Amino acid sequence: MDFGMSGDDLEQMYQEVILEASRNPHGRERFAPDLASEQSAQAGESVVRASHEYCAAGESHQFNPTCGDEATIHAEVSDGGDGRPHTIERLVWDGHGCSISQASLSIMVDLVEGKTVDEAMRLAGLFHQLMDSRGAGLSDESAEEDLGDAVVFQGVSKYPMRIKCALLGWEGMKASVAEALARMQ
Amino acid sequence: MEGKGMVDFDAIRAEFPILDQSVYGHPLVYLDSAATAQKPQCVIDAEADFYRHDNAAVHRGAHELAARSTVAFERARASMARLVGACADEGGEEIVVTGGATAGLNLLATAFGNASLGRGGSAAARFALHPGDEIVVSKAEHHSVLLPFQELAARTGATLKWLDLDEEGRIRSDMADEVITERTRVVAVTHVANVTGAITNLAPIVRRAHAVGALVVLDACQSVPHLKVDVHALDVDFAVWSAHKMYGPTGVGFLYGRRELLEALPPANFGGSMVELAWMDRPAQYMAPPAKFEAGTQPVAQVVAAGAAAEWMMAIGMDAIATHEHEVAAELLKLGDVDGVSILGPCENRDRIGTVAFDVDGVHPHDVGQFIDAQGIAIRVGHHCAQPVHRHFGVYASNRASSGVYNSVADAQALVEAVSKVRAFFRV
Ligand SMILES: Cc1ncc(COP(=O)(O)O)c(C=O)c1O
Repeated sequence: MDFGMSGDDLEQMYQEVILEASRNPHGRERFAPDLASEQSAQAGESVVRASHEYCAAGESHQFNPTCGDEATIHAEVSDGGDGRPHTIERLVWDGHGCSISQASLSIMVDLVEGKTVDEAMRLAGLFHQLMDSRGAGLSDESAEEDLGDAVVFQGVSKYPMRIKCALLGWEGMKASVAEALARMQ
Repeated sequence: MEGKGMVDFDAIRAEFPILDQSVYGHPLVYLDSAATAQKPQCVIDAEADFYRHDNAAVHRGAHELAARSTVAFERARASMARLVGACADEGGEEIVVTGGATAGLNLLATAFGNASLGRGGSAAARFALHPGDEIVVSKAEHHSVLLPFQELAARTGATLKWLDLDEEGRIRSDMADEVITERTRVVAVTHVANVTGAITNLAPIVRRAHAVGALVVLDACQSVPHLKVDVHALDVDFAVWSAHKMYGPTGVGFLYGRRELLEALPPANFGGSMVELAWMDRPAQYMAPPAKFEAGTQPVAQVVAAGAAAEWMMAIGMDAIATHEHEVAAELLKLGDVDGVSILGPCENRDRIGTVAFDVDGVHPHDVGQFIDAQGIAIRVGHHCAQPVHRHFGVYASNRASSGVYNSVADAQALVEAVSKVRAFFRV
């Protein structure tokens, strides 16, 4: 297909990895109320509970009103007993949205589940930098390597309107992890 | 130009300088006029010329420029009145300048709220709402109708009720007798829905509302730019619309009110230019409408340019505009023939305008919009400030193409062609 100049940009934005991840996203489960349904106003709050005793859970609801992307991110963080670092033991989400937001959530889950909180936050910082790069990517090659598949969102960083879509899941991860840590106090 | 004869719509398109550009290497196709319309050169000039030659404060001061500005301002009000069939006679004005349709709706809701607190005395009692009273809207309303009246209900203890939609998303006018009751005081409803493009069958709603003594507020945002609107013939009590959707500037809109109602309605905004006598220790004496509702300095240049837009539309002829856009609508509705595409709204080209919302199965509207934008075609994606109607269709958001007087059948064809490639691109 030929889309002229923007065709390349379009192909660069919607890389195969993104299209694939958005069709079969990882970490997606059904646990939050469905806001498109007529009954949404009556839908009950989902109960935030951790699946492991040594974990605390946190949840964060993220919403992008401009396009309606919406996700509830649920994180479970180990309590750091015996001097072990806090670790994200479980990361799942429920929601709907454009392919960029869905793919970003999926790739983020693959990247940070099982990582320590410190490492997850470092990766979130790198991803933020990538999205702030206006299409240029990160200058640090090893940083790009650490981001793994998430570097495919470099093409999205050219589009100010879509950066929020890519960041939605990461914002939710940071907020839900922070909530889980706060619950341990 | 006469409204009756053949109108050269290619020449009309050429009056819009913004349309003469490429986007991503494609000639721009603008199909987002329901959000905001583009401006013809004469409207752009009217605003600039006003600043260049006439600009001064209106209705005050005695110098030459002040006089010219006042005349231009009032002339624009009269043009707007003629466009919608309202009274333009001095002392009988029925058109109030607002900051836009949203501001007009809030003005009404606030004024009704003030009447509910006893402001405006016994003459304003007809606008007052009390616990047990009802306000009726529809599920197709823009948030700018829903929210001001939802708030008014909350402030006064009134109950908010609504007319449901049928499968095509049309407002169920047949439910008017059931939903509008003896307790209903206000019915606020859209003339043309901004998502489905459906023209509301108003007569049964107005008839029932008036039979029970309720006031009818019409959201005419999406009808005034595209159809011949006659507020007296429609027999509504109030109507609002925005200049920017009818080829005029942003920041300004208009409120129609039946003269006797405007006289009885208490003001909503207070300050300079709306008061005859003000004292420290006595209640102020407000001016007659429309001034009573126009506190503070008005967007004069924009009002003047909006008047130019109204004159320009009348010169083309509203019937000619409606007929032309009807042809564009027919082509847009072919979106429904594209594999995996469904139209949210009436599929038949009857009692609807060239505003066509659609869903592409398996592709989120934001992705559809990105793909369409890459071909230089501007459509709107999202919920279009009308979430309940999307819930009615069981979706969160949609894609919406909407025509203006400058669109051609070829524009619509370009969109249909682009949309037919979407699912393949996203591998669904
Ligand atoms: C049907 C309808 N009502 C109200 C509005 C609000 O108009 P504005 O944003 O110009 O105040 C709009 C425009 O978005 C509309 O389409």
